[in-house]
Amino acid sequence: MNRRTAVGAGLAALALAVTAACGSDDNSSSSSSGGTSGSKSYKLAFIQGVAGDAFYITMQCGIEAEAKTQGATVTTQGAQKFDPTLQTPILQSVIATKPDAILIAPTDVSAMQQPIAQAKAQGIKIVLVDTTLNDPSVAVSAISSDNAAGGKAAFDAIKQLVPGGGKVLGVGVQPGISTTDARDKGFADAAKADSSFTYLGVQYSQNDPAKAASIVSAALQKDPDIVGVFASNLFSAEGAATGIRQAGKQDKVKVIGFDAGPDQIKALEDGTVQALIAQQPGTIGIDGVQQAIKALKGEATTTNIQTGFTIITKDNLDSTGKDATYKASC
Amino acid sequence: MSEAQAVRPAEVAPEAAEEDPPAGRLQRIARLQALQILLLLAVTVGIFSVLKPDTFPTVFNLRGIVQNTAILAVLGVGMTFVIITGGIDLSVGSVLVFSAVVADKTMAAYGGTGWGTALVGAVVACLAGLGWGLLNGVLVAKAKVPPLVVTLGSLSAALGFSQIITKGLDLRDAPRTLVDKIGFGNVVGQVPALAVVAGVVVVGGIVLLHRTRFGLYTYAVGSNAEAGRRAGVLVDRHLIKVYALAGTLAGFAGILNLAFFQSTTIGGHSNTPLNVIAGVAIGGTSLFGGVGSVFGTVIGLFIPIVLQNGFIQTNVQPFWQQVVVGAVLVTVVYIDQVRRAAALRGARPGLAALFRRRS
Amino acid sequence: MTPVLQARGISRSYGQVQALAGADFDVEAGEVVALIGDNGAGKSTLVRILSGAESADTGEVLFEGNPVQLATPSDARRLGMETVFQDLALAPHLSPVQNMYLGREVRRPGPLGWFGFMDTRAMRAGSREAFDRLGAPVRNLTGPIGSMSGGQRQAVAVARAAAWAKKVIFLDEPTAALGVAQTQNVLNLVRRVSAEGIGVVFISHSMPHVMEVADRIQVLRRGRRVATFRQQDTSMEQLVAAMTGALQWEAH
Repeated sequence: MNRRTAVGAGLAALALAVTAACGSDDNSSSSSSGGTSGSKSYKLAFIQGVAGDAFYITMQCGIEAEAKTQGATVTTQGAQKFDPTLQTPILQSVIATKPDAILIAPTDVSAMQQPIAQAKAQGIKIVLVDTTLNDPSVAVSAISSDNAAGGKAAFDAIKQLVPGGGKVLGVGVQPGISTTDARDKGFADAAKADSSFTYLGVQYSQNDPAKAASIVSAALQKDPDIVGVFASNLFSAEGAATGIRQAGKQDKVKVIGFDAGPDQIKALEDGTVQALIAQQPGTIGIDGVQQAIKALKGEATTTNIQTGFTIITKDNLDSTGKDATYKASC
Repeated sequence: MSEAQAVRPAEVAPEAAEEDPPAGRLQRIARLQALQILLLLAVTVGIFSVLKPDTFPTVFNLRGIVQNTAILAVLGVGMTFVIITGGIDLSVGSVLVFSAVVADKTMAAYGGTGWGTALVGAVVACLAGLGWGLLNGVLVAKAKVPPLVVTLGSLSAALGFSQIITKGLDLRDAPRTLVDKIGFGNVVGQVPALAVVAGVVVVGGIVLLHRTRFGLYTYAVGSNAEAGRRAGVLVDRHLIKVYALAGTLAGFAGILNLAFFQSTTIGGHSNTPLNVIAGVAIGGTSLFGGVGSVFGTVIGLFIPIVLQNGFIQTNVQPFWQQVVVGAVLVTVVYIDQVRRAAALRGARPGLAALFRRRS
Repeated sequence: MTPVLQARGISRSYGQVQALAGADFDVEAGEVVALIGDNGAGKSTLVRILSGAESADTGEVLFEGNPVQLATPSDARRLGMETVFQDLALAPHLSPVQNMYLGREVRRPGPLGWFGFMDTRAMRAGSREAFDRLGAPVRNLTGPIGSMSGGQRQAVAVARAAAWAKKVIFLDEPTAALGVAQTQNVLNLVRRVSAEGIGVVFISHSMPHVMEVADRIQVLRRGRRVATFRQQDTSMEQLVAAMTGALQWEAH
């Protein structure tokens, strides 16, 4: 191998090193200012379900704020898609960095079971935030919204807006995601129990707004007299609103969305969505950090925490709704 | 006539003087390319080891990297053969999923959680992959439809069938033995079973490509199919075999995927074909056919995975990983192109050739 | 002596165009025959028909005196006739040895051979022997043939044809793209091949090369053979005149 190849390789190496160094500088999260109880500074890692999602960004803000208070450091990582085949290599890389605790939103109830068990085997404390696993005992705590109640609340919101009854449709994400499954079921049970409403079933958007839009458009073609649609997560709600707008039925169809990202708030203001069931991702994050630190200190943890939700409508947008809105950045 | 004969020896000599020393220029390039990629990988590993000495060069981390590359490597072997013939196979991700679905259904119907069930599943998965591979091959070889179009079609169809069979819900019936022994088991000490299985496939691929007539014909068809045809090589039949191989390996990857994720991951693997093709290209296989190696592909597949792992450890924002991998791919292929062109023109192959003005 | 290959009254048309109209041809064992004619005279068509790549509309082909049907290239190859077309039909990424044995690889003896393992040493020795015997200037047996000069590539193509052919080889414009030294090598190769008893038929546009190496020259014009000359009995001017139609006679 000649000298020139060596020089070229060296330049490439330098470029890589510079990128990595720059990267670590701008992305390291809250530094450890004076710790609260004078104990060591814990290293936490947060693995989102998907990157670029206002729900998980709000959770990240809550986590970072609480970590700062507790004197711990946090790193955040998330894959491009809500997909266990993408989340697993990220999880394994994070495990290798030997954090003290990992807060994770598993992207599949069974596919993530073993990789997360690997983390526990390395002595890392696990806290499940938002979604859960088939066997959550691998974690010290599982925190999520009371999703079943959220689904029921969504139905109640539709009933309030359309007291006469009619056909309702559910737009879910993908079976196997514990949170949206619970919401879909909560909504379905409530709708089936009410005789004045006809439940048209649930279809899955695969967490893709475009797919959600085409599902809703097609459903409206088939049943033009649908009165209400419940979209059980952020991207599905985005897509459902688009689909209704495309069909020109903004006034006829009531849409209840789950999650309150900036786009949904805008849709609420425009009137394409009538109500949003907002979770409290920030609170989930704060609780997550607290549980993790408790576990690390050897204190008792709470196995299951259910956080609440806020129903945001156009009326309360400026008052209670404001705090419940998700953030696009911290 | 006799004067011509007397002139002959002198005129042959200058011809001989311009010839290369024993290794031809293009062959030197190929060796340099494989070395270059290996060097790039080594440098990358080295840098991250220096930046994170406690966490990067650990057994756990390396195991994780190898486990995550294993399934891609199995796909990469088949893809290397296809690309060397000058074709391409975009359907590998969907065929993987389809094979996993079919295997899952079969294993669930068969019942049991032992090796027998797992074996049944593996056979069914490979047969499913073989089926799609044969379809691809026949359409490419006989119907003369361009491989890009054929495999784009089978990508959609295979995924569609998967969703029809499962109604969009992932199946999770992987038998315990499969998951515990293959997906997460170890063979000797800390060596992951998944890696060993993939390793066997890779070694088989290397032998098949570089030592057998099948491999030689693969290169021949990619280099000049017409020449092969005139020499009596059954080009159409060979193409069908190559695509069938790629399909079968995608099917095998499907059962491995099921073992590791315990789910058919219908929503996943949408980017997998592109990632595999990128690995093949980075590894030195030309997308125009005729040149390539399985070893290069494996190294080429490691690089994006190692980069992602290292970036996560050094806390670089996730989106940068995509940017760098894209840049590495284009740079490596560009360098390769320049070297090949230079070699065919008779110039000396060196990195500085990049900066010399093209004459 | 019976010609090893003889064609009588060959006609072939492509739609409206009559490429060959009752053309004759013959070549004897160990003889170098040049087939010349102006553009469109039908030379390439005749060679394609005689090598089995195409079929004639009318006429008959006799091989060693017996009528044969040359429906496919394999038929011609089976009789011991090989052809080198202008594109050389070489795979540029493969080595001279691999090109030499393409389609005719030597398998390893025993069970390994069943799996497709090849006896590379035997093939390399066989190639080396063929190149040496024919005086082909191929130094590097293992590098890709695409990186070698045009002359070397031509030498490999001709040597390949000569090594496998027993009776006749056809060369279509073998010196067209070559420089002076490389051309000499190919012409020497042609002489050596014919010295082994193989009939060599080559198409050429270059009168000097034809005069240098051919034993006999057959001229085609407008799809028919208009003249046959022995090399020592003719001159370049006469050849050109026969090609363009200034002179017309059938000489024996």
